[in-house]
Amino acid sequence: MAALTKEQFEIPAKMRAWSLGLIAAGVLAFILGLVTKGLSGDEHKKAEFIGTLMYNSIFWLLVCNASMFFICITTLAMGAWQVAIRRIPEAISTLVKIFGPIAFVILVYVVIVDHNHHIYHWISDEAKEDPVLKGKLGFLNPTFYLIWTTLAIGLWMLLGARMRKLSEEADDAALRGEEPGKSFIWRNTVSASLFIVWFALTVGSTVPWLWMMSIDAHWYSTMYSWYTFASSFVSGMSLIALWVIYLKNKGYLQYANEEHLHDVGKFMFAFSIFWTYLWFSQFMLIWYANIPEETVYFKHRVDGPYKGIFFLNLIINFVCPLLILMKRAAKRNYTLMTFMAVLIIFGHWIDFYQMVMGSIRKEDAGISWLDFGIAAFFVGMIIFFVGKALASKPLTPKYHPFMKESIIHHT
Amino acid sequence: MHLKYESQLREPLVYGEKTYHQVTEDICRPIEAKPSKLWYIGFFIAVALLLFGVYSVYREVTYGIGQWNLNKTVGWGWDITNFVWWVGIGHAGTLISAILLLFRQGWRTGVNRAAEAMTIFAVMCAGQFPIFHMGRVWMAFFTLPYPNTRGPLWPNFNSPLLWDVFAISTYFTVSLLFWYSGLIPDFATVRDRAKTKLRKHLYGVASFGWIGSTKHWQRHESLSLVLAGLSTPLVLSVHTIVSFDFATSVIPGWHTTIFPPYFVAGAVFSGFAMVQSLMIIVRKVFGMEDYITMGHIEAMNKVIVTTGSIVGVAYLTELFMGWYSQNKYEGYTFWYSRANLFSPYGWSYWGMMACNVISPQIFWFRKMRRNLFVTFFMSVIVNIGMWFERFVIIVTSLYRDYLPSSWSVYYSPTIWEMGFYLGTFGLFFTCFFLFAKYFPVIAIAEIKYVLKTSGESYKDKMAAIEEQEPDEFAHAHAH
Repeated sequence: MAALTKEQFEIPAKMRAWSLGLIAAGVLAFILGLVTKGLSGDEHKKAEFIGTLMYNSIFWLLVCNASMFFICITTLAMGAWQVAIRRIPEAISTLVKIFGPIAFVILVYVVIVDHNHHIYHWISDEAKEDPVLKGKLGFLNPTFYLIWTTLAIGLWMLLGARMRKLSEEADDAALRGEEPGKSFIWRNTVSASLFIVWFALTVGSTVPWLWMMSIDAHWYSTMYSWYTFASSFVSGMSLIALWVIYLKNKGYLQYANEEHLHDVGKFMFAFSIFWTYLWFSQFMLIWYANIPEETVYFKHRVDGPYKGIFFLNLIINFVCPLLILMKRAAKRNYTLMTFMAVLIIFGHWIDFYQMVMGSIRKEDAGISWLDFGIAAFFVGMIIFFVGKALASKPLTPKYHPFMKESIIHHT
Repeated sequence: MHLKYESQLREPLVYGEKTYHQVTEDICRPIEAKPSKLWYIGFFIAVALLLFGVYSVYREVTYGIGQWNLNKTVGWGWDITNFVWWVGIGHAGTLISAILLLFRQGWRTGVNRAAEAMTIFAVMCAGQFPIFHMGRVWMAFFTLPYPNTRGPLWPNFNSPLLWDVFAISTYFTVSLLFWYSGLIPDFATVRDRAKTKLRKHLYGVASFGWIGSTKHWQRHESLSLVLAGLSTPLVLSVHTIVSFDFATSVIPGWHTTIFPPYFVAGAVFSGFAMVQSLMIIVRKVFGMEDYITMGHIEAMNKVIVTTGSIVGVAYLTELFMGWYSQNKYEGYTFWYSRANLFSPYGWSYWGMMACNVISPQIFWFRKMRRNLFVTFFMSVIVNIGMWFERFVIIVTSLYRDYLPSSWSVYYSPTIWEMGFYLGTFGLFFTCFFLFAKYFPVIAIAEIKYVLKTSGESYKDKMAAIEEQEPDEFAHAHAH
């Protein structure tokens, strides 16, 4: 069996062509969007254009960063099953190095260069007169925004790179034996804890408030960041699943089998339910208390132009995973898993769309060619750079101390 | 045949040269021996506390809620604080048995039985408070929805308090089933070893005629998995609904959307602390250090530091939003009634912060996680902290409401309020002492299940496998 599988990933020409094609389509969409909306002189069209760039860059950045979160939590939990597929989330997490700066440029442009108050109302001079916004300016101000965004993205990149660097040791037979193994696990644990702590202070709390929640500058919800995290994490797991399936289909990943895919599927299932749980908790509590300052967020989402998207969000992200992924056989089936992974990523992309665009453009909703075009750019980039990262080192960290447990893993 | 292998880097879950027989001997010993003096002393103290509780409740039922110091602003006080506290503690058992089963955490086998028992007793204690808080407790059946001759008069389905009735009774039922189905094979083991007729009969009845056939085991395993699947959402739902009791309201400090997941994290946090307190005593008294190892204690401390930090993030989130919302009522509650140390109840907020967020951070250090004294001390501190948390939430949000004229005087409990609380300790420990005497405190069958993969003497035999090249290994054992 081992002879049939390949250990070193080589980027197929077709994959490269697809990724470049998608990137080109994305660039084209960007240029067209820039001309028709960005530079049109209409402030609302411009805000819509920038908003599209914002939610896409934030979404895809968080989805790729979720891979590093996955590596770190499984490391801290001393998990073994994921070792056989570990290089995939590692490769996906390299995108943080690319999407991080992209998101940074876009966000900093909005706040520092453009002072776009159609997006962040707290930037405008009116905010200084507004009794509520006035009080928030200690948090919502360009200086803090710049510092915190720099720190958040910078440390994700740095701490993630540390974890990937450590992982390279597992390619070397010298890691065998108790002492080197123990030291390896220990150093991994320390690095992973650092990442997790920073993750909790950014994705788990401040960053979604700053980047996204503050678009509705008056509104607030304590759940917001955990909700955003759940949305990006479940999409991140789906992205991992897609790459596992792709590589297996191409004859790679000799140690991974449907047992491992099954476990990735369980994460997709469980965290779809978890996302729904957070969705329900946030929505129900606001609906039940019925305080106008809070319901204002949902008013046009439930009743207005976003109604369709609102329910679509629930159907794709809750009903479908619940019904389709519940069965054991489904989580072990390549076709169904591919379908569900694509659906979940799409669903949460829509979720981010309504979170951001639903606040920038309240009066009408509609996912247009621009949204798909910009998304195509990010998807193309993911395909291109994940492929590159996978090809840069062996596909399995062979001498990882828990590799053998992963090989005989039974779900 | 599935290969029994586990990395040498993992600590053994069972120490010593153990055979299946030895495991049975070790775990059955306390059941078959006469209880020690210490057991009797402990048991009688527990019963005494229980009786004091019964008397306190008797006074409350006879003379009414006026026996407590609740007033028109602080309508919930110690009673609901204690209710939430006990329910929270009751979360560890199901988390260990259900969620850790789904995550295939082998170490759960050392502690799951006692944790599940503890869960059931804690939920029993919790239930007392809302029931007796009703005042006219003989009307308690009014909470049950059934077509009746009172109109018919239905309970208010829109009220989270009613959802609590459903959530907690479901939780209790499923936890009990889970616990009991795990006990069946172990009861059969005790039955087979029984020396007296009565004992044989009683354990025989309790084990439902289990004979350990393949068919029995097969059914047993599928049942465990189904119950684990059912319990997993229950771990979340119970404390979620408890949090709804507060969060659906419009009271500052209560109405916050993060409440459900943050309550669940806090519940797991306190539950593990309670398991930790009990397990440290049990392993010492029964000499079960080979089964409840330092590794188990360390793993639980990791859960404690994780959930404690999640709770910490939630506290800070709330506090931040108290300011960020620029809602002056929220701001007053969070920044004056709570975070201001010099406000009337400021001490309770900072007590909570110190116990739940700051002090558990020492468990980032391996040395501390593996120190028995520190662990025991911290497990008590965490439960004190979690009691404070509920007290803070309830009392500091209530004692000053929108209308200053109805601000209450300083609320402190009467002796009967405290007596009721002490009584639930009595109930809890009476049950736990009986459990420790008559039930196998560690799941015998489950220990046997992990013995050959994770037992110390078996792991030594895996050294050759450890040396093998991964490819060779995969060739020989991959499926």
